[in-house]
Amino acid sequence: MADLEIRDLHVRTEDREILMGVDLDISRGEIHALMGPNGSGKSTLANTLLGHPSYEITEGSITFKGEDITSSEPHERAKAGLFLAFQYPVSIPGVSVANFLRMAINAKREDPIQVKEFRTQLQHAIELLDVDRAFTSRHLNDGFSGGEKKRAEILQMAMLAPDVAILDETDSGLDIDALRTVAEGVQRLHDEQGLGALIITHYQRILHYVKPQFVHILMDGRIVLEGGVELVERLEREGYDQIRQEVGSAGELAV
Amino acid sequence: MSAPAGGAPAAPAGSAPVQEKAGRHREASLYHALNGAGAGNGRSLAQLREAALRTFETSELPVWRRSGFWTTSLSELDLDSLSVPDVEAGKVPGVVTRTLPERPRAGRIVQNAGTVVDLQLDPQLSARGVILCSLEDAFRDHPALVEPWYSKRLTLDRHKLEAANAAMWTGGAFLFVPAGVVVEDPFEIVYAIDGPGVAQYARTLVVGDERSEFRVHEYDLAEDFGASAEDGSPPQQALHAGAFELYLRDGARCRLAQMQDWGGGDVFDVSTRFVGVGRDAHCHWLPALLGGHLVRQHLELAVMEKGGDMAFRGLFFTEQNEHLDVFAVDLHETGPSGGDVHWRGAATGESRASFEGLIQIEPGAQQTHTYLQIHSMMLSPKARLDAIPSVLVSADDVSASHGGTVGELDESAIFYMQTRGLDRPAAVRVIVEGFFEPLIAELSDEPLEELIRAKVAEKLAAAGEDIEAYATSR
Repeated sequence: MADLEIRDLHVRTEDREILMGVDLDISRGEIHALMGPNGSGKSTLANTLLGHPSYEITEGSITFKGEDITSSEPHERAKAGLFLAFQYPVSIPGVSVANFLRMAINAKREDPIQVKEFRTQLQHAIELLDVDRAFTSRHLNDGFSGGEKKRAEILQMAMLAPDVAILDETDSGLDIDALRTVAEGVQRLHDEQGLGALIITHYQRILHYVKPQFVHILMDGRIVLEGGVELVERLEREGYDQIRQEVGSAGELAV
Repeated sequence: MSAPAGGAPAAPAGSAPVQEKAGRHREASLYHALNGAGAGNGRSLAQLREAALRTFETSELPVWRRSGFWTTSLSELDLDSLSVPDVEAGKVPGVVTRTLPERPRAGRIVQNAGTVVDLQLDPQLSARGVILCSLEDAFRDHPALVEPWYSKRLTLDRHKLEAANAAMWTGGAFLFVPAGVVVEDPFEIVYAIDGPGVAQYARTLVVGDERSEFRVHEYDLAEDFGASAEDGSPPQQALHAGAFELYLRDGARCRLAQMQDWGGGDVFDVSTRFVGVGRDAHCHWLPALLGGHLVRQHLELAVMEKGGDMAFRGLFFTEQNEHLDVFAVDLHETGPSGGDVHWRGAATGESRASFEGLIQIEPGAQQTHTYLQIHSMMLSPKARLDAIPSVLVSADDVSASHGGTVGELDESAIFYMQTRGLDRPAAVRVIVEGFFEPLIAELSDEPLEELIRAKVAEKLAAAGEDIEAYATSR
């Protein structure tokens, strides 16, 4: 049984149905890539997995470590070990990165973390992600550049040590250096902590730095192709349009 | 309350305008600066008390109105049911010992109702000429230091409660910091009301002589005696009518903070505070208005001489059915001068908060640079919060501008924090605390910062249901 099991997931927003039966299994230690063109439902899946109130699950289920979390509150999912790195991280004025991290860590624990232990963990994460120490005393995402926001996401991920992380287009808007730092950070968390990850991306370039074992292609609310890393190369050669043409009829048949 | 009968209408006091007709529903806006000489102006305390008493006798309770926005009326106040009780000297009310942080302090004066019940002053400061005592004692023991400043800029005849204060104040606080004396720890001035039925006429005078540097922390606190019952029994009210003036002479620097929380009882607070900044002097002033049944504050910070500079901060948090009316004035009487006004407020429950911020630049106050910003946050569907900035400029070589935001809780920020494991109330708390934090951190005084953070957190916890209701209503 996989740690995260998504079964026949149908999701709609106020005006339309976006996901139309998604199945996906992700376990600790596995790196998955979810690729797809704009509007295919990638971000909807990411937000739904963490329980965003704007997305309504009309059918199907999400199970995490054997518990049905389909209707759990977002913070309960987080405490259970799920994490979402946002495509557009929200700024939280007035709260430093370090203070926010401490609150988030304490939310998962019975007793508050000791100052010394927290410092050690923070230092480790800072080195892992190659961020400046002063970074942690700035207000979270407030006035951060695009690259800084994404690093802050990965820093939080490193500190909170989830079992499965969903990275929603973490690569978008990053220059090559930031992209490399972020991707290598994910790879190291996978190697060191056994992180399971679902890397959602539109492009292939992040996958040059972090190697997925499983690749899924999402189109029009359904996963239309699955395979190994060779699928990324094929996508690079052929593009989404050609794949769409090939699977179009098959997708229809599958319904 | 007893007061002498009869008497003619108040004579003009100094250059202050005379109210020709006192009335419960005067439409004329009272939202203007004190703006000019006060009632003092060479008159003795006895003369001032007498003039004020005449105004008190002949005027009615005031109404402040901003047409289309708000009305602050004292019609609910049963003044006749209130009195200044005798209190035991030396007995500090529980609310004071519970609230004030344990910390080093330069001195402390505590007034309960109309009586000073505690006075402490660091003997080393006393030896250097620092004076902290009741204002009554100061008039007796240090008339030469008090008389030139007393009511120098405060008036006594704008309305009945201002007159009541000027006529009937007892106790009071006087702080004098001599030239060149620098004091790190704060002087604490505390006004406490420990039960219903109390009228408190609070009078504070602070003078910072040339190049002095010091901190003043004022606390306005009431025992939580509970709101009036709605069964027709007599109201359980209390009144704080305050008058505060602080003058900084050449080159003096003061950090003034005020922490007001009148608790859950029906406490009415109608106060006027004036801070005058002298040549090259500087004041950082931060009132934290955290509760009161009906609170009306006229807060005026004036640069009176060249080179004066000010940072005028403020925060407020209203809950339940509280009514808050703040008028903050950033007054520049001469230039060059600098000003920076920054307020933040939040409202929950069915509370009502009104803020008017006025930048006023007098003729001749050239090369003044000032900015006023007010940010507000709505936390409940039934609360109402209005913020009006206004600018009155009578000089041409100045920069004066204002800005502000009106916000609600950001649901995307709440979801973001939830995905990090914080539950919804914790996420809301982070947002609201973060909203106030830029101002609280500016106090650069850890014990007071912690106290204000704790008060905000307490109020947020109490408002949990309202905040939830607001989220689902949107």
